[in-house]
Amino acid sequence: LRREKEQRLRQRRLRDLRALALGQADFQLQDTSGTPRSRADLLGRWVLLYFGFTHCPDVCPEELEKLCRAVELLEGVPGLPPVQPLFITVDPARDDAAALGRYLRDFHPRLQGLTGTAEQVRAAAGAFRVYVSAGPPDPDGDYVVDHSVLTFLLGPDGLVRDCYGRSRTAEELAKSVRGHMESYEPLPP
Amino acid sequence: PARMAAPTREERTACWGARDEFWQCLDSHGDDAAKCEKLRRAFESRCPQQWVKHFDKRRDFLKYKKKLETEGYVPPEAAGKS
Repeated sequence: LRREKEQRLRQRRLRDLRALALGQADFQLQDTSGTPRSRADLLGRWVLLYFGFTHCPDVCPEELEKLCRAVELLEGVPGLPPVQPLFITVDPARDDAAALGRYLRDFHPRLQGLTGTAEQVRAAAGAFRVYVSAGPPDPDGDYVVDHSVLTFLLGPDGLVRDCYGRSRTAEELAKSVRGHMESYEPLPP
Repeated sequence: PARMAAPTREERTACWGARDEFWQCLDSHGDDAAKCEKLRRAFESRCPQQWVKHFDKRRDFLKYKKKLETEGYVPPEAAGKS
């Protein structure tokens, strides 16, 4: 009876997530090799997605380290499907494909990055309700971008299954992702 | 205009190290910045200006947070402004 209840709760949560339609809108971006990528390219895999920018003073490197550490922990668990770590820039003016490639290679070998035109990036951030606000430039033209700090977990069906803030550790992320994987049921179409 | 490259991992680590040394100095001198000028200059030379501003604000925030935790919240005296 308890199992049935848990099952119903899960199904309801999934329906709520689908109704929220977070990240459902398509996006058109390019990866670090310049290849066009859209949401369809993410289907069929688990994805841990973070929005940030390469000129970020501390938060983005910390969150990326954490995300990649969680991916490493999951890689150590036999039988789990692989997780795709993914970074989308909120600063397309400076973070072109080359800049992203240089930045991301310090973190995890499978970490991918996406960029695009200002409009494409705005649409992608909007699809995930990620707040983005570039600050005023200093005399050198440098600026920071204020943005929501969230790591999204996408399931193989493309639905956002969870999101994680600053306070979660890599271990907590890995544990949560594993829980989602083990109880995964694709939402009926 | 030429696009500025983002700091590399090594540059980030050097900046954070200089910041931490400066902050440790402030911690041991009751936040008397005059006692830590050399480390302040090192911090400013190792970090982009935008990052220095960001970390200065962060330090203020951390101090305020600590104050709240130790002294409790003291509401500002009611002023004429709404």
